[in-house]
Amino acid sequence: MFLTKKAISRRAMLKSAQGALALPLLEAMIPAATAWDKTPAKPVRRIGFVFIPMGCDQDRWTPPGHVTLGELSPILAPLDPVKEQVSVITNLRLPNAYPGTHDTSNSAFLSAASAKHTESSDYFSGITVDQIAAKEMGRETQVDSLQLAMDLNPLAGVCNNGYSCVYQNCLSWSSPTTPLPSEAHPRVVFERLFGEGGNAEERRAALRNRASLLDSFTAEIARVKQRVGAPDRARLDLYLESVRQVEREIERGEKAAADNKTPDLERPVGVPAAFADHAKVMFDLQILAFQADITRVISFQFTREQSNRTYPEIGVRDPHHPVSHHGNDPVKVAQIAKINTYHIKLYSEFLQRMKATPDGNGSLLDHTVYLYGSGMGNPSLHDHENLPILVAGGTATGLKGGRHIRYEKGTNLANLHLTLLERVGIQLDKFADSTGKVEDLFERVV
Amino acid sequence: MKTGLAGLAATLFLCAPGRMDARQRQFLDRYCSTCHNERLKTGGLSLAGVDLSRPEVKPELWEKVVRKVRTGVMPPPGAPQPPGVDRRAMLTAIEGALDSAAGKVNPGRTETLRRLSRTEYQNAIRDLLALDIDAGSLLPADESGHGYDNVNLGDLSATLLNRYISAGQKISRLAVGSTQSSLQSDTIGLPADLTQEDHLPGMPIGTRGGLSTTYTFAQDGEYEIQVLLMRDLAGVVSGLRDSRSHEMLVLLDREPVHSFTVSRAAIGDQVLNEKPLKVRIPVKAGPHNLAVTFVKEGSSLVETTKRPTESRFNDRRYPRTAPAVDQILLTGPYEAKGAGDTPSRRRLFVCRPAGEDKQEEEKCAAAILSTLMRRAYRRPVTKGDVDEMVPFYRKGRAERDFELGITRAVTAVLTNPKFLFRVESDPAEMPAGGVYRISDLELASRLSFFLWSSIPDDELLEAAAQGRLSQPGELERQTRRMLADRRSFNLATNFAGQWLRLRNLDAVQPSGNLFRDFDENLRRAFQQETELFFDSVLREDRSVLTFLKSDYTFLNQRLAKHYGISGVYGSRFRRVTLAQKSRRGGLLRHGSVLSVTSYATRTSPVLRGVLVLKNFLGAPPPAPPPDVPALDESTMAANLGMRERLAAHRSNPVCASCHRTIDPAGFALENYDAIGRWRELELEDQRVDASGAVPGDKEFHGVDGLEEALLRRPELFAATLTENLLTFALGRGVEYYDAPAVRKIVREAEKEGYRFSSLILGIVKSVPFQMRRAEAGPVAAKIGVK
Repeated sequence: MFLTKKAISRRAMLKSAQGALALPLLEAMIPAATAWDKTPAKPVRRIGFVFIPMGCDQDRWTPPGHVTLGELSPILAPLDPVKEQVSVITNLRLPNAYPGTHDTSNSAFLSAASAKHTESSDYFSGITVDQIAAKEMGRETQVDSLQLAMDLNPLAGVCNNGYSCVYQNCLSWSSPTTPLPSEAHPRVVFERLFGEGGNAEERRAALRNRASLLDSFTAEIARVKQRVGAPDRARLDLYLESVRQVEREIERGEKAAADNKTPDLERPVGVPAAFADHAKVMFDLQILAFQADITRVISFQFTREQSNRTYPEIGVRDPHHPVSHHGNDPVKVAQIAKINTYHIKLYSEFLQRMKATPDGNGSLLDHTVYLYGSGMGNPSLHDHENLPILVAGGTATGLKGGRHIRYEKGTNLANLHLTLLERVGIQLDKFADSTGKVEDLFERVV
Repeated sequence: MKTGLAGLAATLFLCAPGRMDARQRQFLDRYCSTCHNERLKTGGLSLAGVDLSRPEVKPELWEKVVRKVRTGVMPPPGAPQPPGVDRRAMLTAIEGALDSAAGKVNPGRTETLRRLSRTEYQNAIRDLLALDIDAGSLLPADESGHGYDNVNLGDLSATLLNRYISAGQKISRLAVGSTQSSLQSDTIGLPADLTQEDHLPGMPIGTRGGLSTTYTFAQDGEYEIQVLLMRDLAGVVSGLRDSRSHEMLVLLDREPVHSFTVSRAAIGDQVLNEKPLKVRIPVKAGPHNLAVTFVKEGSSLVETTKRPTESRFNDRRYPRTAPAVDQILLTGPYEAKGAGDTPSRRRLFVCRPAGEDKQEEEKCAAAILSTLMRRAYRRPVTKGDVDEMVPFYRKGRAERDFELGITRAVTAVLTNPKFLFRVESDPAEMPAGGVYRISDLELASRLSFFLWSSIPDDELLEAAAQGRLSQPGELERQTRRMLADRRSFNLATNFAGQWLRLRNLDAVQPSGNLFRDFDENLRRAFQQETELFFDSVLREDRSVLTFLKSDYTFLNQRLAKHYGISGVYGSRFRRVTLAQKSRRGGLLRHGSVLSVTSYATRTSPVLRGVLVLKNFLGAPPPAPPPDVPALDESTMAANLGMRERLAAHRSNPVCASCHRTIDPAGFALENYDAIGRWRELELEDQRVDASGAVPGDKEFHGVDGLEEALLRRPELFAATLTENLLTFALGRGVEYYDAPAVRKIVREAEKEGYRFSSLILGIVKSVPFQMRRAEAGPVAAKIGVK
């Protein structure tokens, strides 16, 4: 895992009000979650998060009808094949993203936390919803969670208005001071999930090799135990604990390889040049990861904040970020809408593939909850109001798709995070600045 | 000079070893008991009624007393101070008693099991398999204890175990080469704040910027190299102007193998329209130097409306004037043609199977693995060791061929506790608390991990295996040999990097507004200067006092310019003899030390003071109390000098108790700003006040005064350096019972003018290094059996 450890300095803790909020949550991290039941009636649940930057053209995004998602808006039109499994939520907001803009749009999207305004290494944000899920759901899988991106060169140094680049680079944070790096290179992601690849038999063989190395390790520890005194034997027992932990991971991996029918996996080597091709590979890896039950929690930074990608393939030759500062110029607004639509199109193709992939007594889409959206609302105003938000996912979690939930007053995005966690079996009273749950999305928990 | 009177006093007192008389009682009553009495118990200590006749029965207490009195921390400032003569006499008496404590030798106890640190793992692989790996990308960092990362090595988490296994697999495939079954891809990046306008150290003459690295190519074949250029925040390639064209070279072992033309027309500058800079080149297996760099196009002055700076990497402020390399992506081998002949294969394959039959193959496999295991396990190999590896070999052999069998067995060796852990176990019949001499093999490991942070080489191992290491003279001979070996540069990097906190240089990010000229080039130069300087003292066996005051240092043009020293040209580092009144020289004047003890916007006399007191003087201040409120920076007027800013340290009595000692040591260095430049003024118009003090000495001024003060009591610096080296050598914190050994080392070293080797040899010959204290051991378990 690409984890780095960072100790919270005493002063940072004292200075940040968020520290008081985030820390108790950290300690209450493992609440009594609903027990996993792998019967056909209650199959495995999964959760994924997709981030797009710089909000959207809200006029062309917002569907006309509400409660029922009748006619799709121009930007959301590509979702038609999966309309019944998608819900649109409008008028959600991220109050804690102010006063920042691009950096906090990214860092607050999954944390709803206020980011400390610093360029140095004393950054401080909040634990993100996917990591809360990972701490619980990751116990059952080989990889606790996956962080993906599309941009190979993370920025360094100063990014925006005195915020450290870590806020723009990292979508997932496993603690207020532990940003998790993400991976955009398909090969690296593949290796993390499948090692060298090959077919299920080859992967199982690789896992068995690891297991036999561990056997040898254990045997030697046992021999050393004979030669040392009591305190050292206790130390050696701790080592054996770690060995057992790794052995359990291997067992889970072997079982996943045996239980799940995944095709022979050819390890990708390079990065596809075209955006759409690269995106497809990254989405396909997510499907594979879920299919093989290697992980159940994924976050994906679909493009980064301040991205300057151009999209000539859809007729937008100007870079994304400057265009997003449209100042209500209709030409630029139309360009933004095109980019938004393109992203939705690629996402919809992914959802369609999820729907077509069998899983248990339904499809992969039935058993997976996906959140798609941005931490910014109107990119020309750089605000964090009326964020573009979609929830996709299936009946197994009780999602009522085909809806458009429109809040009268701006409601905190954290409410949605709290609700999604509940759907995958993690009951919390509060998440960040949540004020309640998004009741209309799901059937009531029985 | 100090031996005169103190010596006299010592003779008087040491006539009756261990006996203290009325004079010492008087000393305590006069200078100590005012606070350290039954009623007040200041600092939790009462000296009333202590038995002065035999301090050696309470060494923990008296060693604390000795440290504080010797460094001058006690009696505290403001309290009556004893005359130097009396202080020294008192110390001599107590220390004499503690040192002469007969039969109470306590060598301390290192951990029974310690795994290799990340640095040690990397070096061990280098020496074992002639393979350079980047352990930083394979293993997590180690936690530090007592200032060194080889102290808390008794842990083994599941994550670490997983990494060891993955690393072992990757390394064995790379070492054998032929079993690398698929395409490998690696990314090598450059820091964003590296200025690439000019020639970088180590690159070929006539080039600018770029990177040069040694990369191990797994097999003969073709490798694809793609270069990504530095871009600004808008995604545009930095430094491309008008229609200017730049030539970018790819060099393999210093020979150009490809040339790219970099210009707007050639590559475009938008993200998607860029034509990738990719090339496939044939490479033979093994380590090669790979460089990507630009041909330098003249050196005319850059026109700029702002003041020209050395650093050019921030496109908002000091833009690049020419394109720069960001990352290199290496993928291969394509059209692989086998493992070829590489240093790691030569090291590993000490034989080839004589014939096709299985028996011949297994004989050779056993020979290969025995040679490997002897070095990896750091001891002669047993039949059991070989038998353990055979199943791994056979499985790989059956799956494919001889070489896969070897690969699998090598992985098993590298993931075995016998390689990963250093074990020091008590002899069978040793009672608890008993003291014993460690075995020759254990001693060999201690020696090589101390001086090289790596496994013993064949010569050392042989001497130990034959039991010669403990013979008189042999240990000294081996130590000197190993110091002279190039691998002892490890002390400059690994030891000094921690003793002087140089490892924090990577995290030094001075404010771009205040320190325009700071970049990665300067960071690297800082590190080079200190490492080369430290190594010169080691290799030339100079007195360690050179660290405190020196008439030479190592500079290149960039660093010399930063320091304001003229006449140094070129990027190569070279020794420079400094002028008489130079502001550079000893460690306290090095940009490295001065930067890691500063913050992004200003110096920190507190950090500097702590470094001086702790790592130079041996008078560490106590830890800050747990609930120190944050310095309310906003109420500080912007135009206050540093001394005024820290006034609260002095006015608040709770703070002052420590800070009246810490701050003055740091103030002496105030003439050096946060990135080590000399300054007379701070905040543009206020004169820097660099008056300072250290405990037990009179006030002085500036870095000259600080150095002189430290040199007045050289034994303190020598003792502190010895303690740090001893911590690093033993892999455990130095305790009160090690103090007699440290004193002995310093006494002997003084006779040799504190030459570096005298400290090293003193440590190697010392009780803590050669012996160990037993714990309740298997004896207790065995008693039941017997």
